[in-house]
Amino acid sequence: MTSAQDKLYSEAAQTYGAAMERLARAYEADADLRRDLVQEVHVALWRSFDGFDGRCSLRTWIYRVAHNVGASHVLRQRRTRGQELVGLEELENLADTNSGQSAADRGHAFDRLLGLIQRLKPLDRHVILSYLEGLDAASIGEITGLSPGNVATKIHRIKNMLARQFQQGRSES
Amino acid sequence: MMEVENPVQKIWQDQPVEGIKMSAEIIQKSAAKFERRIMWRNVREYVASLIAAALFGYFFVTAHDVLSRVTFGLFIGAMLWIVVQLHRKGSATSLPRGVDTLTSLRLYRGELERQRAVVRNVWSWYLAPLVPGFVVYTIGYAIKFQRPSAWAGLALMDAIVAGLFVVVWKMNMRAARCLQRMIDDLNAVE
Repeated sequence: MTSAQDKLYSEAAQTYGAAMERLARAYEADADLRRDLVQEVHVALWRSFDGFDGRCSLRTWIYRVAHNVGASHVLRQRRTRGQELVGLEELENLADTNSGQSAADRGHAFDRLLGLIQRLKPLDRHVILSYLEGLDAASIGEITGLSPGNVATKIHRIKNMLARQFQQGRSES
Repeated sequence: MMEVENPVQKIWQDQPVEGIKMSAEIIQKSAAKFERRIMWRNVREYVASLIAAALFGYFFVTAHDVLSRVTFGLFIGAMLWIVVQLHRKGSATSLPRGVDTLTSLRLYRGELERQRAVVRNVWSWYLAPLVPGFVVYTIGYAIKFQRPSAWAGLALMDAIVAGLFVVVWKMNMRAARCLQRMIDDLNAVE
C-alpha cells in the first residue's frame, strides 16, 4: 500500500462516503447485500487509486469507479433475478401508467423515487443519480462518457418525469 | 454536498446513511483476497497442462522406439502450444476501473466477446494440436501389434479419445452460449 493511495482513499471515503452509500441504495434494495456492495465500492476505490493519474478530477474518478461497480452488480443480479430494466423513455411511459394508484400506495416520496431509479438501465441510472447528487451536466458527461447534448436531453427528460411524478403525487395526497 | 435546484434532489440527498467505514486492515485483506483469487485462477490454467507435458516428457525419455518418441514429442509440443495459447488468448484481463460508464460497458462487452471467441474456437487451439500425437500413436501401435485383438483395443481407445474430444467441445460450446447470453444481457441494458 502506498501512502498516496491511502491518502486519496481517506479523502474519498471522508468526502464521498455518504454519496457512495446513497449510490449503493440505488443499485441494491436488500440491506445486507447493500452493505456488501458499499464495501465492494470501497475496496474498488482503494485499488483504483493505485492507477489514478489525475487526468480527471478526484470526484469524477470516484463516481466512475462507484458507478462501474454498481453496474457490474446490476448485471450480476439481473442474471440471477432476471430483473427487467428500462430506459428513461420507457420509464416515462411506465410511470404514467401508475398515475391511477392511490395516494397511500404512493405516499413515500423517497420510496417512490428509489423504485423509479432501481428500474433503470445502468447508464440512465448513472445519469439520474448524478443529477440527484447535484452534479452539473458537464460532470455527468465526464462520468458517463455521454456527449453534452445527450446528457442535456436526458436531464431534461429526468426533470420532466420527476416534476410530473412528484407534483402528481402531491396533488393526489 | 452538491447544489440542490430541485426538491427531489433534496429528498435524495437527505436520505439517512449508515456511515459505513472500512479500516485500512479490512480493505487490505479484501484486496489481498481478490489478488489471491486471480493468482489461483491463473495458476490453475497452467498447472494441468504442465503436468501433462511433464508426464509426456517422462514417456519421451523412457520410450525405446522412434514412433513412440515422435508420438510423445508431438504431445509435448501440443501441450506447450496449448499453454502459450491459454496465456495469449484465455487469460482473464482486469478492466480499468476509472473509465467512464460507456467505455466501461464497451470494454466489458469486448472482454466477453473475446472470451466467447476463445471457447468457440477451442477446436483449433486446444483439440486439433493433440490430433497428430494420437494419429502417430495409433499408427505406431497398429504396426507394433499386428493382431485383431490389439487393433480392436486400439479402436476402442481411439473411440474414447474421440468421445472426450466431443465432450470438451460441447462443454466449450455451452460456455460460449452462456457468454452470448451475458453479451445479450449487456446489450439489453445499455
